[in-house]
Amino acid sequence: MKELFPAKHVMGFIFSLVLTGVALSVYFFDMSFFMGMTILLVTAFAQAALQLVLFMHAGESEDKNTIYTSVYYGIIIAVITVLGTMLAMIWGYV
Amino acid sequence: MLKMNNNNTQPLEYSTEQGRMNILGFWIFIGAEIMLFGTLFASYFTLETRTGSGPAGAEIFELPPVLAETLLLLTSSFIIGLGIHAMRLGRKKAMMTFFIITLILGAAFLGFEIYEFIHYVHEGASLQTSAFTSILLTTLGTHGLHVTFGLAWGIVILIQVIKRGLTPQTANKSFIFSLYWHFLDVVWIFIFSFIYLKGMM
Amino acid sequence: MDFFERFLIPHPSPIIYASMAAIVLTTIAIIVGLTYFKKWGYLWREWLTTVDHKKIGIMYLISALLMLFRGGVDAIMMRAQTSMPENTLLDAQHYNEIFSTHGVVMIFFMAMGFIIALMNFVIPLQIGARDVAYPRLNAVSFWLYFMGAMLFNLSFVIGGSPSSGWTSYFPLAGSELSPSVGTNYYMLALQISGLGTLMTGINFIVTILKMRAPGMTLMKMPMFTWSGLITNIIIVFAFPVLTVALAMGTMDRLFGTNFFTTTDGGMDMLWANLFWVWGHPEVYILILPAFGIYSEVISTFAKRNLYGYNSMVASMVVISLLSFVVWVHHFFTMGQGAMVNSIFSITTMAIAIPTGIKIFNWLLTLWKGKIVFTVPMLYSLAFIPIFTIGGVTGVMLGMSAADYQYHNTMFLVAHFHLVIIPGVVFAMLAGLTYWWPKMFGFMLNERIGKWAFSFISIGTCVAFFPMFISGLDGQARRMYTYSESTGFGIWNMISFIGAIGLAIGFILIVYNIYYSTRYASRDVGDDPWDARSLEWATHNPVPEYNFAITPHVNSSQALWDSKKNGHTLFRDGLKEIHMPNNSGVPFVMSVFFFIFGFSFIFSMWITVIASLIGIFACMLHRSFENDHGHHISVEEIKRTESEVRGAKNE
Ligand code: HEM
Ligand SMILES: [Cu+2]
Repeated sequence: MKELFPAKHVMGFIFSLVLTGVALSVYFFDMSFFMGMTILLVTAFAQAALQLVLFMHAGESEDKNTIYTSVYYGIIIAVITVLGTMLAMIWGYV
Repeated sequence: MLKMNNNNTQPLEYSTEQGRMNILGFWIFIGAEIMLFGTLFASYFTLETRTGSGPAGAEIFELPPVLAETLLLLTSSFIIGLGIHAMRLGRKKAMMTFFIITLILGAAFLGFEIYEFIHYVHEGASLQTSAFTSILLTTLGTHGLHVTFGLAWGIVILIQVIKRGLTPQTANKSFIFSLYWHFLDVVWIFIFSFIYLKGMM
Repeated sequence: MDFFERFLIPHPSPIIYASMAAIVLTTIAIIVGLTYFKKWGYLWREWLTTVDHKKIGIMYLISALLMLFRGGVDAIMMRAQTSMPENTLLDAQHYNEIFSTHGVVMIFFMAMGFIIALMNFVIPLQIGARDVAYPRLNAVSFWLYFMGAMLFNLSFVIGGSPSSGWTSYFPLAGSELSPSVGTNYYMLALQISGLGTLMTGINFIVTILKMRAPGMTLMKMPMFTWSGLITNIIIVFAFPVLTVALAMGTMDRLFGTNFFTTTDGGMDMLWANLFWVWGHPEVYILILPAFGIYSEVISTFAKRNLYGYNSMVASMVVISLLSFVVWVHHFFTMGQGAMVNSIFSITTMAIAIPTGIKIFNWLLTLWKGKIVFTVPMLYSLAFIPIFTIGGVTGVMLGMSAADYQYHNTMFLVAHFHLVIIPGVVFAMLAGLTYWWPKMFGFMLNERIGKWAFSFISIGTCVAFFPMFISGLDGQARRMYTYSESTGFGIWNMISFIGAIGLAIGFILIVYNIYYSTRYASRDVGDDPWDARSLEWATHNPVPEYNFAITPHVNSSQALWDSKKNGHTLFRDGLKEIHMPNNSGVPFVMSVFFFIFGFSFIFSMWITVIASLIGIFACMLHRSFENDHGHHISVEEIKRTESEVRGAKNE
C-alpha cells in the first residue's frame, strides 16, 4: 500500500492545500489591492510550478528542454497578451 | 529515479518513438492551451468592470461551492498523479482505481459548476446580461467543457486499459491524459485566484 | 418555405447567378467525368485517404492555386470598379463583399494554404524523414483547411458573402449591422480551417524536432526548415487567440452575448485588439517561410553558402518574439493615449531590425556569387527591392503620430501589398518553380516562366505604387467610388492596368503548367538545379518512403558536401521500412465539420448536434483503432528503386 503513496506526491498535495489556504486569506482579511494581488500571483504561479514539475513530470524526458521552452514561451506570450490588452483597452484607453 | 517495468530503461509510456513524440506533441498543445486561456483572461480583465445593468462579480460569487470545486479538482489532480505512479509500478488495478476516483471527483466538480451556473442565472446573470457575465460564463464554460471532454476521454482510456492491459500504447495515452488533467487543474487555480478571489477581495 | 428563404442571396446580381450555374455545372461535370473514367476508386485510394505528406502537400498546393484565382477575380473586379471615378460596375454592397472575401481568401486560404503546401512537401524531405510525426493528423489538418475554404466560398452563392472586411471589425460585423449570414460564414469557416492550421503547427514542430536525419543538429538544418520551425511555433501560440476571438464573435452574433456590442458593457475595440494579437503574428507566419525559400533559392543560384547562417536563425527567433508585442500598431487611431502608442511604435520599429539583418545576409550571399538567372532566382532578386519599399513604408506607418495621416488610406493598402506580394506570392512562385521537378518529375518551362515573372513583378509595381500617392492625397481604402474632382482617377487607372498585368502573369503561369506538362522532358535527373540540401538527394518522383536509406548529415548543405567534398550520405544497407496506413476517417470527419459549420451558420441546431456526434464518433473510432502501419520489404524497396532509376532513362 505504502508504495502507492510516494512521500513526494503527498507532500506536494499538502503544500498545494496550504497554498490554497494562503490565497484564501485575501478573502478573509482586509488588505490593499496591491497586497492581495501579490499574494494571488505568488500562490497561483507557485501552484502551477508545483503541478508542472511534480505531477506532470515536465523534467523527466529527453525532451525536457523543448517542454520547458514551450511552456515558458506560452506563459510569457500569454502574460504579454494579458498585460498588453489591459494596457491598450483599459489603462491607456482614453 | 523512476521504477521501471521489465528491463526497459524508460517507463512504458516512453518506450516507443511514437510514444515519445506523442508526449512532446501534447506538451506543445498545452502551450497552445495556455495561450487560449490567456486570451480568455485578457478578455475577462478587460470586460470585468463592464457590467452594464447586470450584477458585478462580488454580488454573485459564493465562496462555498467555489471552494468545493477547488478542493475537488486539486484532489483529483493529486489522485491521478498517484494513478500514473501506480502505472509505473505496473500495478494495473491500483492505477485503474485511482483513475476512477479521479473521474468521480471530476464529475462532482462538474455538478458543482452546473449548480453554480443555475445560481447565476437565478441571480439575473445569464450569458446575455452584460459583457461581464458573457465573458465570465464563457471562461468558466470553456474550462467546464474541457473537464467534460476529459471525463469522456478518461472513460475511453479506462476501457482500453481494461481490454488491452498496460501496453506501451495504453500507458502512453494514460500518461497524456494525466497531463491534460493536471493542466485543467492549473487553469482552475488561475480561475479561482483571478476570477473568484480577486472578484471577492 | 420560410426554412429555405434563409439560403437566398440577400443582394443578388447576374454575376452571382452565373456563378451558381457554373458551380452546379462544374460539379456535375466532375461527377460525370469521374464516373465515366472510373476514377472514383483512384481518387479515394490515392488522394482522399492518403496520409503521405507529399500528396497532402500537393493537395494543399492545388487548393491554394484555386483560391489564388478566386481571390484574383475579386481583385480585378475591385480595381476595375475603381479605375474610373463614379464607376457603376459594382454597387457599394457588392464592393464591400468583394474586398472582404478577397482579403479572407488571399490570407487564409491562398497564402496559408501555399506555405503549408510547401512545408508539407519539402520539410520531411529536407530533414531526411519518412513522413511527418503524425501523418493521420496531417490529413485531418488538410481536410479541415479544405472544408473551411469550401465553406467560405459557398457564401457567394448560398446566403450571401460577408461584407465587413477581412478584419471583420465590430460593431459593423455584429448582427445588427450585418444581419445576413455572411459574417457567420467568416466566423465558422475560419474557425474550422484555423483548427487545421493549429494541428499543422504542432505536427511540424514535433516533426522538425524529433525526426531529423542522424547528424543534423538544429544548427545544421537547412534554412527553409528553420523558417518552418519558427513559423509553426508562431502558429501554435497565435492561432488560439483567433479561435477565442472567433468563438466570441460567433456567440455575439448567434447567442446574443455582449462581448463586442455597444450596449450592456460590450466593447467593440476588444475584437480589434484580439484580432490583431493574432493578426500581426500572422503576417510573420506568412513571411517567414518565404524568407526560408529565398535563402534556399539564393544560395543555390548564387552557388554559395548562405551568408550569416547564425544571424539568420537568431533574427527569426527574435522576430518570433517581437511579432507578439507590436499588435497595437494596427489601431493607433482608435482610442489609445500617447503613452500606449509610443510603446507600440517603438516595438514596431524594433522589428525592422531583424528583418533588415536578413536583407543584408541575402545581399552578402549574392555578393561575388556566380549568379544563375533562373525563374526562382528572378523572383528572389525582385523580392529584395520591392519588399524593402514595403518594409520601409511599414516603418513609416509604425510611427503612431504619422499614422493618423496614413491610417485607412490607400497608402496602407500599398504598404501591405508591397510586403505580402513580394514576400509571399513571389516566394511561393519561386518555391513552386524550384520544387516543381521534385513534385512532378519535370521542370516548368523557363521562357514562359520568365515572361510570367516580368508581368507579375512589373504588374505589382504598377498596381501598387500609385496607391502611395493617392493615399497621401487622402483616398480612403475600401471606398467603392470617388468623385472626379478628387483627382484620384489617374492613379486608380494606372493601378488597374497593373492589375491586368498581374492577371496576365498568372494566366501565363497556368499556361506554363499546361505547356510543361505536355512538352517538358521527363529526363531531369534527381537534382536538376545542382542544389545543396537533402530533398534533392532522393529520386524523382519521390518514392512513397522518401529515402530508401536514411541519409547521414554533417552540415546544412549535406548534398553539396556529398557532391563536392566527399561526404557519404548513404552509409547503411537497405532495411525494412515502416510506413503509416491510409485512412478515410480524416476525410469523413472533416465532412462532418463541414456540415457542422454550415448548419451553425444557418442556425440549424439539429444537424449541428448530429454532425458533432459524427465528429466525436470519428475520434472514438481513432482511439479504439489498432493501426500499426505497414512494412515495406527490402525486395520491394529494391524493385521501386530500380523502377525509379528506369523511369529516368525513358
Ligand atoms: C518592417 C516591418 C513592418 C512594419 C514596421 C509594419 C507596420 C505596419 C503598420 C504600422 C500597419 C498598420 C497601419 C495602419 O493601419 O494604419 C501595418 C499594416 C499591415 N501590414 Fe505591415 N509592417 C511590416 C511588415 C509587414 C509584413 C512582412 C507583412 C506581411 C507579410 C505586413 C502586412 C500588413 C498587413 C496585411 C497590414 C494591414 C492590415 C489591414 O489593416 O487590413 N506588414 N503594417
Ligand atoms: Cu502588424
